[in-house]
Amino acid sequence: MAKAANFSVVGQRVHRVEGFDKVSGEAQFIADIKLPGMLTGKILRSPYPHARILHIDTSRAERLRGVRAVVTAEDTIKRPWGAFFADQYILSVGKARYVGEEVAAVAAIDADTAEEALDLIQVDWEPLPAVFDAEEAMAEGAPLVHEDKERNIALTIDVERGDVERAFAESDVIVEDTFQSMPQWHCAIETIGSVAEYEPSGRYTIYMNTQTLFNARYRIASALGVRESDVRIIQSAVGGGFGGKSCDDNNALVAAVLARKARRPVKIINTREEEFLAGSRPRVFMKIHVKLGFKRDGRIRAKHVRVIADNGAYSAKAPAITGVAAMRHDTCYKYTDVKTQAYLVYTNKIPTGAFRGFGNPSAEWAVEQAIDIGAHALGIDPLDLARINAAEPGYVSPHGNRVTSCELKQCINIAEKLMDWKKKRADKRPNTGLGFACTVHVSGKRHFGDYDGSSATIKINEDGKALILSGEGECGQGAHTVMCQIAAEELGIPVEDVEVSRADTDLTTFCLGAFASRLTYVSGNAVRDAAAKVKAQLLEQAAEMLEANPADLVCRDGRISVKGSASKSVTVADVARARLFRHDGAPIIASGSFDADSVLPDKTRYGNESGAYNYGVQAAYVEVDPETGQVKVLDYVIASDCGTVIYPIGAEGQVEGGFAQGLGYALIEGLQFDEGRPVNPNFSDYRIPSMRDMPPLRHAFAESYEPTGPFGAKGLGELNMDPTAAVISNAIFDAVGVRIKTLPITPEKVLRALREKEKEEKH
Amino acid sequence: MKRQITLYVNGEEHELEIEPNRLLLHALRDDIGLTGTKEGCSIGVCGACSVIVDGRLVSSCLTLAAACNGKEVTTIEGLAKDGRLHPLQQAFIEYGGFQCGICTPGQIIAAKALLDENPRPTEEEVKEWMSGNLCRCTGYYKIFESVMAVVHNKLSPDFQLKRRTQEAKIQSLDVYKPVAKTD
Repeated sequence: MAKAANFSVVGQRVHRVEGFDKVSGEAQFIADIKLPGMLTGKILRSPYPHARILHIDTSRAERLRGVRAVVTAEDTIKRPWGAFFADQYILSVGKARYVGEEVAAVAAIDADTAEEALDLIQVDWEPLPAVFDAEEAMAEGAPLVHEDKERNIALTIDVERGDVERAFAESDVIVEDTFQSMPQWHCAIETIGSVAEYEPSGRYTIYMNTQTLFNARYRIASALGVRESDVRIIQSAVGGGFGGKSCDDNNALVAAVLARKARRPVKIINTREEEFLAGSRPRVFMKIHVKLGFKRDGRIRAKHVRVIADNGAYSAKAPAITGVAAMRHDTCYKYTDVKTQAYLVYTNKIPTGAFRGFGNPSAEWAVEQAIDIGAHALGIDPLDLARINAAEPGYVSPHGNRVTSCELKQCINIAEKLMDWKKKRADKRPNTGLGFACTVHVSGKRHFGDYDGSSATIKINEDGKALILSGEGECGQGAHTVMCQIAAEELGIPVEDVEVSRADTDLTTFCLGAFASRLTYVSGNAVRDAAAKVKAQLLEQAAEMLEANPADLVCRDGRISVKGSASKSVTVADVARARLFRHDGAPIIASGSFDADSVLPDKTRYGNESGAYNYGVQAAYVEVDPETGQVKVLDYVIASDCGTVIYPIGAEGQVEGGFAQGLGYALIEGLQFDEGRPVNPNFSDYRIPSMRDMPPLRHAFAESYEPTGPFGAKGLGELNMDPTAAVISNAIFDAVGVRIKTLPITPEKVLRALREKEKEEKH
Repeated sequence: MKRQITLYVNGEEHELEIEPNRLLLHALRDDIGLTGTKEGCSIGVCGACSVIVDGRLVSSCLTLAAACNGKEVTTIEGLAKDGRLHPLQQAFIEYGGFQCGICTPGQIIAAKALLDENPRPTEEEVKEWMSGNLCRCTGYYKIFESVMAVVHNKLSPDFQLKRRTQEAKIQSLDVYKPVAKTD
């Protein structure tokens, strides 16, 4: 393992670059943007889970005073769009497929007028039989959500590596079970919104709170039937993304269509209810059957996973998510023979999609419980079982994922020590228990075309300050601060002298955006490349000024001097000005680029999907109240391997925030559906953790260095969302001997399981 | 029918002509132009719209603007003075008490309401009080640390926002020192 050098900025407890804006209320979020003449847009949504539209009469709405535009599918090119499968429309064409689907929309001078106009739109509906359960949807004769999708199947994955049948035959212990995950909503405190402008020349400018600008631009251009260059996306401050703001919904598209018709800027901000019904695409819910075969010594010999994933009415990113759920975990342990079968199935519910973890939380909820069942069956401490099987540097998964740095074993040791695992295990009190799970995630994923790269431009202003132009997606995670640190480290200037501009597809080079825990790794490498090129220009100019060789120069704290003779020096500002204000002057500016050393998986889904893999371990100590079924987390520990920690405050925040979402997923978050309609689409019924819900937490980062990462760093953002639900469930089993297999783990479920166990024991 | 009201927001007088059902949140954001106060859930659960009215913490999404006629309203914009941050604002930066920042104005306002009333709350009191403000990014650990840093006077005296030209030193570290109370 290479060791981190002594960095001057990387790894320092620097403050968030946009800190002042965020604590002062100055940060401009999407709802804060106001343009001259701006109208308010409101959307008419389907009240039915599945219904044909016979006729829409908008005439009364159009006549309402203050209404500037009313639109239906007739105002669009009716071309389906989507991240992987083009299957959704801007506004319903022919029929609606879920409750909340966009059917028509109004732009008016204020929100009240727009709401009133929605009531005046007359839609003649013919309700159709609907299907709400993925397994029922796959049955012969089930209503079809999309007529051309036989048995409602959107995607089938069937992959076998090695000889799984033989591997099971050679196993000493075989365990299997089925686990059900639940939908989970992002619940960013800021809902999705946009402000769209249309210029009569045919160009759209859309302010969005998106975390993926260029993907948004591509999808919007394709749905509107224009070129990418005809769409400009400008990012507002983003009030939480978590995957939900990666432009899989219609908000910005409807605003664009309204703006074109009204010839005025149109703002649409989702209400909280709309956000639940049809805004951010909730986590794909899955039923996962896991079968594992172990050798007596604990080595995993065989694995077979069957996944049924609920796509909802449209596909968004669920196809890729299903693939991750089916296969990613095979990079966590040393597997040889694995078989995975997965079905992604359309239903008449909200389209599901990308949420922090991207299939991993569902998969780890199932697989890490199956591993725990195996540990009990083998009589091996779960920590030791993980040690026996843990991935290591150089491991190549059965699907071709090539592991570079990997400190999973170190993470196990850290978690064991932090938790005082052995002592707690030895002194086990009644109704208390320990749970544990490992996790793996990527640092970028090659799946949007054959590219998993990033680019950035850095320019040096005349005052010596650096400005990074990046089109990546700061969505609250702190990516801009990481970029500033990397640029400052490479350039040798103070981190306070680096800023990042607002992302804007017209001004920044192509970037894929925030997903797959990729920004620190991928965009960090691009920023570092740009900074190195800028530095070469600075040193060349400085060499002339100092009458020295560029190779003999160093830049520290914004001052360039000849190595070994600090008395002779110039500042970066001096250099930037000298380069500019002269005959043949030129600004100091350079673009950098990086594309990960990964490959687009082939038809059999084989191929190294990411440039680096992040690992982690979580452990819980819980107490279960046998009278009420209440689970109390007494202690929680986390160890993460994200390579070099560049921005410690931010990295700690990613661990803590990811864990909080994992805890919500495990214990409280859930939404009841009635005939496809979510019955509690608000924050009082859909509870997310609050401060009093958070248990004691201690966490640490492994000593780690990723050779392909910027200054040794790799991804972190999603890692600690992934295993938490399984960790809690494993701890409950250790405490009271019942295993909860459906999320969320409510006191009712625990109590029922305890009663059933009691009954069984009596017989 | 519209009616005339006066709001004293962050020490400034604002005369407004509003519908009687106008929410304080929208009066602040849309009529006065102070967009630091955020709308998160619209039903008084998430705390993003927290403001202080005559010393009391309220959800401005549930409060009628007309009901605040003649009252003092403090929003996040009222905390920093002349480019100098309030101790809670400094603490949130120093201790990483925010990520995306959308809930932050509400968190800071809620903490201010608590500390104005009780400068030395216990850890449990802070957790209980701050549970009315949801955050989806941080897991709350760093928000808690930020508030406790002010309670225990642990802010860095050398703190400077070097990114800004203006001096952004904190108002005073002694703001929340108990007046005549013994611990």
